[in-house]
Amino acid sequence: MSNPANLLFIGLPGSGKTTFLAALWHVLTDRSSATTLRLTKLSGDRTYLNQITKEWRECSQVPRTNLQGEQVVVLHLDGDGFGSFDLSIPDLAGEAFKQQLTDRRISRHHDAFVQAATGVMLFLHPDVQKGPQLTVARQLEATLSGGQSGDTGAAVTGQNAWSPELLPHQAKLVELLQFLLERAQRKLRVAVVVSAWDLVESVGKPPHALIARELPLLQQFLEANNDLLEHSVFGVSAQGGDITLASEKRSLLELDDALMRIKVRQDHDTGHDITKPIAWLLRGA
Amino acid sequence: MADAVATMAKVEAVEPVAEVEPEFIELFSGAALGATDAEAITLRSRTHLVVFAGAEGSGKTTVLASIYEHLNQGPFAGYRFAGSRSLLGFEEICHLNRLASGGVQPDTQRTRLTEETKYYHLALRGTEPGAARRDVLLSAMSGELFRMAKDSQEDAERLTFLRRADTIVVLVDGERIANTAQRASAQADAADILESLLDANMVSPSCQVEIVFSKRDRTTAAGQTALDFLGKTKEKFDGRFRARVPLLSFRNIAARPAPSSVPESSEGGLAEAFASWTTPQAFASLAEHQGAPAPSREVREFSKFGWRHFERARRNP
Repeated sequence: MSNPANLLFIGLPGSGKTTFLAALWHVLTDRSSATTLRLTKLSGDRTYLNQITKEWRECSQVPRTNLQGEQVVVLHLDGDGFGSFDLSIPDLAGEAFKQQLTDRRISRHHDAFVQAATGVMLFLHPDVQKGPQLTVARQLEATLSGGQSGDTGAAVTGQNAWSPELLPHQAKLVELLQFLLERAQRKLRVAVVVSAWDLVESVGKPPHALIARELPLLQQFLEANNDLLEHSVFGVSAQGGDITLASEKRSLLELDDALMRIKVRQDHDTGHDITKPIAWLLRGA
Repeated sequence: MADAVATMAKVEAVEPVAEVEPEFIELFSGAALGATDAEAITLRSRTHLVVFAGAEGSGKTTVLASIYEHLNQGPFAGYRFAGSRSLLGFEEICHLNRLASGGVQPDTQRTRLTEETKYYHLALRGTEPGAARRDVLLSAMSGELFRMAKDSQEDAERLTFLRRADTIVVLVDGERIANTAQRASAQADAADILESLLDANMVSPSCQVEIVFSKRDRTTAAGQTALDFLGKTKEKFDGRFRARVPLLSFRNIAARPAPSSVPESSEGGLAEAFASWTTPQAFASLAEHQGAPAPSREVREFSKFGWRHFERARRNP
């Protein structure tokens, strides 16, 4: 394993990038659980990591990164088969990715991270919609009513003018990956992280099946470009539950070991090792 | 003093001008493509160009939007979505079919004349194992544009790129065919468009031309008389154009059929049509006629066999 390694976290605002980083820092510094990757030493300015991790430990909402507050964290790690290495992760604001979609440009600063990236983690929140279609809604209506829908007359003109902000979530994520491929001009390894996995765990589907069902355009894009994007899908619950619900938050706080809040699922395997997606990314490096 | 000024001037002259690097790097626009950007795609890889021509309201943009909408739901016509340089362009023409539009009934953004000669790009990969990636450009043009090309050199030049079309789909409004007062005009409009295309030298010998009767559900609902007229229209077109268009075919579709209790009918024949439009049929058909060797696997593997594979896989998961 060569060092250093650079990861790039991408995702829209609220997709769980900073919360993942906070939980990761807790796990690494706690050192009590068996993780694929381990922290070798502490160094540098850890103010930012300690600040976001404090919120995570208290089951509070980890503050979103704003454009002014972007940080690059460097972790000194090792792991079986990896050796020792320095992992650098810029915590970029989701707002910056949103702006890429509307402004159609990328800052030189962010582009430098793309050029240096050893691997990419694409974060998405499971509460997304693929851009509901009126044809599908009306077809469903007709199927449920068991017959022809009565009105096939003139369409009612839409009330909302189109703008790029109205892009469905899956189209936004495909576009972000297209930007990435355009700028990187090389094969990339991408760990797709479905954050807040606890919200969709009860559906009983593995993460890649959830993507196929909820974001079929993204899933096709990932599979159809397997010569350019090697990918794996992970479900990660970094908070462990819905911390906006008082009872759930209390249950999470009452756990003897905060590490048990974390759940990571890949295919049919579920565990608590939050370093697993990172280790998967770096195995290809 | 004079020497000092001269020295200073010399120093100033040799001092390199610091170029300020722009803070941002421009990304592709994602909008529907102009001819130059479309051409850039064709230079990068073998690209199949499909042109939809038809009178206003014949369903050109609806067909185009429906293809993208089907891909939004999953693999379609034996293809998986592998990317698009005009994702925003597709989203814009699909907007009136989205709940986010605030509309109640599905609709399609009409093509404005100023927006014509715009192209929509799809990168696709067949669903069968090992299928190669391919690029498809789709464009919707009104008959008016081709008529203008006959009279104006400038308009004709706007169509230069379109002369590379691998497939031209002439859409005949099925709803008008179903209406006794309008059916003769619908037939004449489509014939006029094909005539204009031929006059504008848009149809190369290897170009597949398909006359597509859109809104099949409306024609069928109108009864046997409408279907009989549709049959006669096909015969008339075949007699009139077959000699000038070697690869002429006919098809009925309903790109956005009225909701029905039978979900299987929801794609209205569009999948098979799209697979056919994006298959380099010229190779297969010409080879058949001229006794040439069978087309290469690469040529055949997409659409034609891909679609069949997809259908088989769907039936026997």
